[in-house]
Amino acid sequence: MKRSSWLVFETIAMRDTKLETKLRLVALQLENWKKLHDLITYGLDKAKPIISTEQERQFTEIRANLLQEIEYVLRELNILAEVSGKAMSVLQRGVSVRGVRDLSNDEVRRLETDWNGVFTKLGLMQGQLKARRKELAEQTAFDYYLSRLLRRPVTAR
Amino acid sequence: METRVLTVNTDPVFQDRALAILDQIEDLETQNVRNLSEAVQALLEENFDGLIIEGDAALALEQATNLRQHFPSLTIACLLEGGRRTDVGSRAKEQNIELLVIGRSTRRLRVTLTRFVRSLDSHAGTAAEGIDPCHSLIGNLNQFSAAEILQMSCLSQRSGRFTFKSGRGNSEIYLQQGAVRHAVFGSVLGEAAVAEIFRWRQGRFYFEEGIISQEQTVNRPWAHLLIDNLQKLDETLELVGV
Repeated sequence: MKRSSWLVFETIAMRDTKLETKLRLVALQLENWKKLHDLITYGLDKAKPIISTEQERQFTEIRANLLQEIEYVLRELNILAEVSGKAMSVLQRGVSVRGVRDLSNDEVRRLETDWNGVFTKLGLMQGQLKARRKELAEQTAFDYYLSRLLRRPVTAR
Repeated sequence: METRVLTVNTDPVFQDRALAILDQIEDLETQNVRNLSEAVQALLEENFDGLIIEGDAALALEQATNLRQHFPSLTIACLLEGGRRTDVGSRAKEQNIELLVIGRSTRRLRVTLTRFVRSLDSHAGTAAEGIDPCHSLIGNLNQFSAAEILQMSCLSQRSGRFTFKSGRGNSEIYLQQGAVRHAVFGSVLGEAAVAEIFRWRQGRFYFEEGIISQEQTVNRPWAHLLIDNLQKLDETLELVGV
């Protein structure tokens, strides 16, 4: 009995670790996609004529981080097939703030649609992960054990 | 109440050993930034109980020393890769920076980080307001008037953007080689905007070197603007009896 309850605690902790890692990854991704969007929006705003070298540097840095991390993170989140195409489309179209300004209307629309697709999926994912974390935090070891017992016939099918 | 820690990690996706451990510590909220500039911004916007800078010893300590100048009350620790070095130890002690070591043992790292986080609980306080190193000049309008700081910048032939923030709103003055090129305050442009800013006696300002406006709304030499506006200001002050 002692051994089994220890195992239950360990199982919860292991799941929690993975969940926390996923949450951290999705938060980092969302942060970068938001920053990228801010700079794209600035680039598209014709009322703001000044594009500084600092803004271009920031854009390149964010883009480099996204290019480096996107495949790994999306795979970890199990959404690689669904989001990868849209993400790459945004990163390939948006080469610089000035480059974004020079895009045709169609390309801009496509860029915004693809960005929205990626952002929406990551946002939903973050919500689901947070909900799961909340569930786990509210669950005692006994609840967890009981739910596994009750769930057994369904999972065995 | 949760302890809040800001971490500086340039590669939080692939170099996440310490971050994964911090995730597991109860009652701890961690926020990660990737560079010094983002760290300053985060520290200005929010309160953190502690800061952990992860990375190469020399670079981490340099960043920590830089941040110490602007946030004197913040608890700062450097999480060093490859062990503790004697040359950085004395510098860290001088700056009141704690050195933590990323060893091979995850268990030891967990103990080190947990001890650091728990030490923050006992003296959690508000980080003192600092300045952004990207701004080459920053200050309060109640200490230096807009006329004084603009005169100083124009005399030293500066190019860049002054941003003024007060209860009335935000305004910007662009300088190019010591001459006012463009000024904007809401919908007010040019000399009228400069005149408005001259009247501000409360608020903050900062100067960003090298940002040049393509628009030109001010065509008169700075000296003329200064004399006219100071005269107007004197007249205004006479009216209110200050």
